[in-house]
Amino acid sequence: MVDTTYKKFVRRWEEVMDLPPQTLGPFTKPYKKLTRRLKVMPWPWLVLVSIFIVVGLYVLVGSAITFLVTLLQRGF
Amino acid sequence: MDSTGSLLVSGVWFLRNTIGVIIKPYATYRRIVDHGRLGELFYIGILLAGYFALASLVKEASFRPFLLTRQFVALSTTAAVSFFLASTTIWMVGTLVGGTGSWQRITLAWGYTMMPTVMWFLVTSLLYVLLPPPRTTGMLGVAFSIVYLIFSVTLFFWKIVLSYLTLRFGLRLDAKKIAVAAAIMVPLFVVYSIAMYRLGVFRVPFL
Repeated sequence: MVDTTYKKFVRRWEEVMDLPPQTLGPFTKPYKKLTRRLKVMPWPWLVLVSIFIVVGLYVLVGSAITFLVTLLQRGF
Repeated sequence: MDSTGSLLVSGVWFLRNTIGVIIKPYATYRRIVDHGRLGELFYIGILLAGYFALASLVKEASFRPFLLTRQFVALSTTAAVSFFLASTTIWMVGTLVGGTGSWQRITLAWGYTMMPTVMWFLVTSLLYVLLPPPRTTGMLGVAFSIVYLIFSVTLFFWKIVLSYLTLRFGLRLDAKKIAVAAAIMVPLFVVYSIAMYRLGVFRVPFL
């Protein structure tokens, strides 16, 4: 039992350590912060950022966003 | 295991990985690259074919078998060629910037990035029927536009995350090399998108 758990642990460890950790100089910390939120269930963050962008766009161009949507709706 | 059994196993993996890329994209992409089977592409292909069948009906807006078949063949062929061109380009550029990984692994990983694409196109096609454009500048039109854009931008970000993971795990690139590879690939994809637009196949690139 202990042997199996240990083997599983070693396999998982090797899998995780297969890729060296990312380093981006001064940006390493923000990068880790960002990716931590995207690794598991990223949807709340993706939706939140999208809301900010779209509301920002609406503030910027007003009801002209309907023109963009009309174009996109014809884009398939 | 015979080919039917192998295909069934691939189907189970496909379902597991599809749920995985929604809930746990990072761990799932690691699994796709390390243990994925090329048979999973078969199910991705079926999903895309289902969408193209629907899109042909919406685009042609008539039940003429010849026109529908022509539209379906045009969409499917262009998407299949684009898919293999895209995965080959990613593999070549990734290898050029120092990545290590097989073309098969990249193709499979890139296959799962089709999920946000097909989801966006599917919803857009259905909305085209239910709420045909143009959108008005009234309150309802603006409200719908905001919701639709939030949906589109969210899926676009999901696509970016999955594309990043394709390069990260498929080619074992670090963030700096991924940025360099993206700087080379994005202009190529822009040229492709313009070509598709000019040919009248996809106005929004099906990548």
